[in-house]
Amino acid sequence: MSTAESEMLQRDREADPVGTINVFDPHPLNWLFITWNTMEEPIRTDHDGYITMALAESATWRDETTLEVKVRSGVRFQDGEPCTAHSIKHDFDEVQKWAAPHPPGTHLNFHPDAECVVEDDLTCVFRLPEPDGLILGKFRGFHIASSSFWHNHGFGYKKTGSGEGHW
Amino acid sequence: MAIQRVRPEFVATNIITGEDRTPRVVLEANRDHNSGRTARLEQVVFVNDLSPAEALDAVCDREGEIDIVTEVSPADARRVLDSQFARLVTIDANRMLTGVFNTYEVNDAPLQDVRMREALNWAVDRHRIVQEAFAGYATPLAALTPTWCNGAVAELEPRRRDPARAKELADAVGWPEGRALRIAADASLEGIARMISADVQDALGIASEIIAVPADEMVAGARALIEKKLVPPWDVLLNPWFDLSSDNPAAFVHREFFGHDGAFRAGPPDPEFDRIFAELARTIDVDRSRALAEQIDRYVYEQSKALFLCAPNALYAVNRHVDFKAYRATFELADTEVSAEHWSRQDE
Repeated sequence: MSTAESEMLQRDREADPVGTINVFDPHPLNWLFITWNTMEEPIRTDHDGYITMALAESATWRDETTLEVKVRSGVRFQDGEPCTAHSIKHDFDEVQKWAAPHPPGTHLNFHPDAECVVEDDLTCVFRLPEPDGLILGKFRGFHIASSSFWHNHGFGYKKTGSGEGHW
Repeated sequence: MAIQRVRPEFVATNIITGEDRTPRVVLEANRDHNSGRTARLEQVVFVNDLSPAEALDAVCDREGEIDIVTEVSPADARRVLDSQFARLVTIDANRMLTGVFNTYEVNDAPLQDVRMREALNWAVDRHRIVQEAFAGYATPLAALTPTWCNGAVAELEPRRRDPARAKELADAVGWPEGRALRIAADASLEGIARMISADVQDALGIASEIIAVPADEMVAGARALIEKKLVPPWDVLLNPWFDLSSDNPAAFVHREFFGHDGAFRAGPPDPEFDRIFAELARTIDVDRSRALAEQIDRYVYEQSKALFLCAPNALYAVNRHVDFKAYRATFELADTEVSAEHWSRQDE
């Protein structure tokens, strides 16, 4: 890309999304990449692969078994529904229904006795029966969806009648 | 689903047995998004009805059809570099190519002995594999943590091939007379298996049997490996893997290969590994967590828990008017942009 094109892109960043690209991705994890390109999680990874906040504005340990998550203000799903702490709680309750929701395995599961409690629209707290030093990494596979997603699709719900292995 | 254990905790891995892709998957920008990664493109179309060769032709030889091809083979890198329409984007990705050792007691290959595992690590020329099998688009690994990830041990260097040292270690253990080293790999890795075989023959005088696993047997092999009820028919399995982040490779990589609940563990549990990992899993202090991650990578290096090979790059062929920024741990397009010269903007 030329310098002139790069300068023009800099100006375009102030404007609406523009352009279309066609992508060929034979990677066996394409299903996951599509998910990560269309859904949000409390955290993401940056270009170097390091965890950075996404839907969560912060994730702070109040004590060894209590993780406070502050949700970013003003986020909306594609259908216009606001994304709040209630969305996080709802999706947590959904994922906890399943024994092995994540294809890579049960190690991504939250503890079966963990709870998510909403304190206000932008604050939820994860109460864990024991310390979980890996929970932020698990958030990478904790996809947050709008109500209409759960009503119309769910992770495998409509197509297979089960969420096992479909998160 | 491959169920590894039911009690005292349920441990399982889902096995993907097939893909049901529609010809096109269209992603549209959410203009109201507000998480700091608002899409720069109006639309992304995933094209699923081309072969890899057709897709590479489309991005290298013309414009307007395909803008990004992922998973470009190192063998095709030169073609992309020479293209007038595409450029090559590479990144040190969170991917690892490793040989899993079969350390079950019933296996008559003495891989339960750390000296034999270390001998194989000295026998194999991982630097040559990087240069010849990956055309330089990979990084030799000392253990499992790439240098750019949290938990890498600064002073650990990838072992440089040392046939004499390998022979000394192997001779101290002894290899069953006439017993071949059985190396299993899927078809795409058979060439690398043959390079390893040649190195082992040259350094240790041990012949190899290459088990090229047909595509239709991969699911059964994966299930057997995960469930651990059947002893694998191989001694070394070439196993590509990846990590979801750079923060804690021990959680998604080391644990998967060596942990009591690891899908790729091919031998009895290792109490010392599990002890260190259990402490890591309960540690919320960042500095302590990093120290434990380094301890784990050092432990698996010292124990030669696997045949450590390399971290392959991710290679992309990208249209010249597309500004694509690669990620180490994923393939994301939120910050990808196209210039006004791009085919999709010619009507503006």
